[in-house]
Amino acid sequence: MSVRYFAGAAAEAGTDEEQITLMVPPPLTLATLLDEVTARHGAGLARILAACSFIVNEVTATGERTLDDGARVDVLPPFAGG
Amino acid sequence: MGTRPPDPGRSPDGGPSDGEPPDRGPSATGRVAFTAVTDEPLDVARHEAAVGGPASGAVVTFAGVVRDHDGGRAVRSIEYVGHPSASLVLAEVAAETAAGMTGAAGGPGTGADAVAVSHRLGELAIGDAALVVSVAAAHRQAAFAVASALVDEVKRRLPVWKRQVFADGDEEWVACP
Repeated sequence: MSVRYFAGAAAEAGTDEEQITLMVPPPLTLATLLDEVTARHGAGLARILAACSFIVNEVTATGERTLDDGARVDVLPPFAGG
Repeated sequence: MGTRPPDPGRSPDGGPSDGEPPDRGPSATGRVAFTAVTDEPLDVARHEAAVGGPASGAVVTFAGVVRDHDGGRAVRSIEYVGHPSASLVLAEVAAETAAGMTGAAGGPGTGADAVAVSHRLGELAIGDAALVVSVAAAHRQAAFAVASALVDEVKRRLPVWKRQVFADGDEEWVACP
């Protein structure tokens, strides 16, 4: 699956997008993916993730959302427009 | 967008009715003049012109402008970035606001006539407008109230972020822990 990071999350992860494949027994959830992301990028990103909202395949999602191999996950830090 | 629904405040030939201007309120038209998420500089006057009409006694415009300080520190510039859905979200927020004007969303309606709203992305300098909202209404109370509520809603829901660059070269993503 692909993970896209935006704004401060991208700065902390050091990338805008990455491909992640997880070998875990199904169902794979967004929460499990975020654990892997934290393991890769560290506590700084974990702190940001705690404040983020998430979009899976263009629909807002929370941790229990199940993911398939082709899922596209967007990581959105708190909005700061205006 | 851009087409005006039939307006009960006008005479059958479509021109302005004689005598007293129509008092809007429950019959307010609720038009979204335009919405935009753009890299181009925002034109405040274009927003005002797009919402105004013969029945509008009040046009309120808000411009969110890049300022040269934040939290006591000198700011050099701000970069705004948006999620690909930002244009769609802004159009949705504006449409909901317009529905709220007519009462189509339930309740008596806020009584405003039209809104235009834009957000700019990219590198902005001090004094550049990042967010422009214009609201037209028969009376000022409705225009002020709808403009204020729309700004709040845009800030709450629009997937846009800002990177603030300080005069000393330090930078931060605003609101990001």
